[in-house]
Amino acid sequence: MNLDKVIAGFFIILAMTLNFGFFYGDALDINMHSKYELFAAIIVNIIATVLKLGDKTQMGSVLIATSLVADLQLIAAATIWTIYGVNGVIEPELFGVIISLSGGALLANITSVILYIGDTLKSKR
Amino acid sequence: MNNSSLWIILQRMRMPFTVIVITYAIAMVGLLIIPGVDDQGNTYHLSIFDAFYFISYTATTIGFGETPYPFTYAQKMWVSASIYLTVLGWFYGIGTLVSLLQDKLFLREIAQAKFIRSVKNIKEDFVIILGYNETTSEIIRKMIDSNMRVVVVEKDQQRIDYLHLEGFIPHVPGLVADVHIANSLEYAGIKSIHCKGIISLFESNLLNMRVTLASRILNPHIKIAVRSSTDIETSNLLDAGASIVENPLQIISYQIKMALNSPSLFKLENWLYNIDTLDCKTFSIPKEKIMICGFGRLGKSLYNIFLENGIEPVVIEIDMDVVTEAIAKGIDNVVCGNAEDRVLLEKLRIEEMKLIIVATNNDTTNLSIVSTIRSVNRNALVIARENELSDFSIFSAAKIDHIFLPSEILIHKTTNAIINPLSDKLIRLLQSKDEQWGQQLLSRLIKTINVNPITFELNINKTEAVELYHYLSKSDNSIKLNEIRKSRRDRQQYNNVIPLLITRCEEDILLPSFECELKMGDRILFACDENSKDDIEYIVNNVYEFHYIITGEERNYLNKFISRS
Repeated sequence: MNLDKVIAGFFIILAMTLNFGFFYGDALDINMHSKYELFAAIIVNIIATVLKLGDKTQMGSVLIATSLVADLQLIAAATIWTIYGVNGVIEPELFGVIISLSGGALLANITSVILYIGDTLKSKR
Repeated sequence: MNNSSLWIILQRMRMPFTVIVITYAIAMVGLLIIPGVDDQGNTYHLSIFDAFYFISYTATTIGFGETPYPFTYAQKMWVSASIYLTVLGWFYGIGTLVSLLQDKLFLREIAQAKFIRSVKNIKEDFVIILGYNETTSEIIRKMIDSNMRVVVVEKDQQRIDYLHLEGFIPHVPGLVADVHIANSLEYAGIKSIHCKGIISLFESNLLNMRVTLASRILNPHIKIAVRSSTDIETSNLLDAGASIVENPLQIISYQIKMALNSPSLFKLENWLYNIDTLDCKTFSIPKEKIMICGFGRLGKSLYNIFLENGIEPVVIEIDMDVVTEAIAKGIDNVVCGNAEDRVLLEKLRIEEMKLIIVATNNDTTNLSIVSTIRSVNRNALVIARENELSDFSIFSAAKIDHIFLPSEILIHKTTNAIINPLSDKLIRLLQSKDEQWGQQLLSRLIKTINVNPITFELNINKTEAVELYHYLSKSDNSIKLNEIRKSRRDRQQYNNVIPLLITRCEEDILLPSFECELKMGDRILFACDENSKDDIEYIVNNVYEFHYIITGEERNYLNKFISRS
């Protein structure tokens, strides 16, 4: 068992699950999506990105690309929420945009996890 | 920045980045949880962005104050804890980055990337020189003077620093690397089409051998110049594919042989190496009363040369083993002793000696022997060997008639072989000639040109002799060597030119006559003066000059047009 692998795997999968937790639920119902969950998802995603840095292999490059996509989408979602949700109310169509952005990030995270599992299975140690 | 240095940064920064993100997250979560009080006394919670904003300016020690409302004591307590946490995180991150920038591995990566880039940018002919020292720095200077770019690979960082301090123009890129690693030769551009040669003058024969083998495999077309110290090594290196093998000690003994048998050939050779003018006073070696101090490699080969010429010199050697070995071989006038010992010298009747060669491999010993000898015998011809180039000023101040400088010989020979391959060939051809031949050539050179003619090579090809090449490529045209030595001012007059050598298809014509017909692909070595060199270059390249020289008329399109109509 490799501690580095445990930590990296933990954050990569946690990034996906948190992202899913935020995304899951009625897209127009603001009560079904917690902003704190989005916050946690962003933090964990950034940590996962940092842990993938500096890997020169082909796999490492694709992994970091998926992470960057997820970061970008989640941060975009948070930015929209911050700017248009100043008074605690947000228009339903804008909220839809936030949820669909996080849905996109979820896809990137799923890709990342699949690649990560594939890489792990391929490794002989 | 090269990719790999970027990767090193990213990899090393993983931990600091993670720490920064986690400390931010902890500090923000605390602020989100702890309730605050707004200006109307209502309880409120900071929004996520408010928390991020506050932590960002606090962690970076900018500090805009408490926003959006003044904090409660509970908040303040949390903030004071998180300031230490986040500021430490930042400092850790910055500290790692700074130490990374000073990291040796990282710096070397950057230097290497820079070196590879500057070698790739060289679009002219260049040579690779392995090892940077006084000898090679002199070679670099000569190469640059003849418009050849240079790339240096050296193991020692300090020497590379010296190279950069020297400030050669154009820039000489230097790489700190071990030549044992084949990669370093590749980085130095050995596979480039512009690479013309590689020079490896290491003391270690093994290293030279390795470089030769590796270079030959990496690029079959370049010239490889290496140093060797024995005949066996020389032939091994030649077998391994070296183009130029130099054995400085052998060259010295060969020079003594030349000075002994044919002084004019010796003068010619020195002139071709750019060491001396043709009228310099060379020493004439006496035929008797000769003493050699030091019976090492040089001493032995000198002894044999004198013996071949029927002279038996007296030898002094300090090492008893060497002396017994020599006596076992039947050499009986070897004396064991210290040549600095005045009593011993007097016993050997030093005052009667006419030529004394001081040939040990230690400069201090050589100088000390010379001063002892000089105090007893003021008239003898003293020849000393100087091993280190840096001792030159001391040696030239000592009363020595001739100094043998193996490193200087290496410098001249290497640069000549790479820059002027024809003159190097000529020197080899000279070796089979006799004194009378040399005498004739010498007086002819001095009479027709001057005491220090310049040599120059002309290749009859598309780039170096455009007009001549075009003319010769038409089937029925032929041209004699005589034509291109005519003066541009008046074609009845001739310039001061002596063709020394023509090589065509592996055939060498030594001292070709002016009636010799030129062919495409010929390479000609001329001895001439500056003015004649200009003339020849103009004639073979310029359509108007060439036309005038061939026909005696000015080339004029208008005339042709008028005469036709």
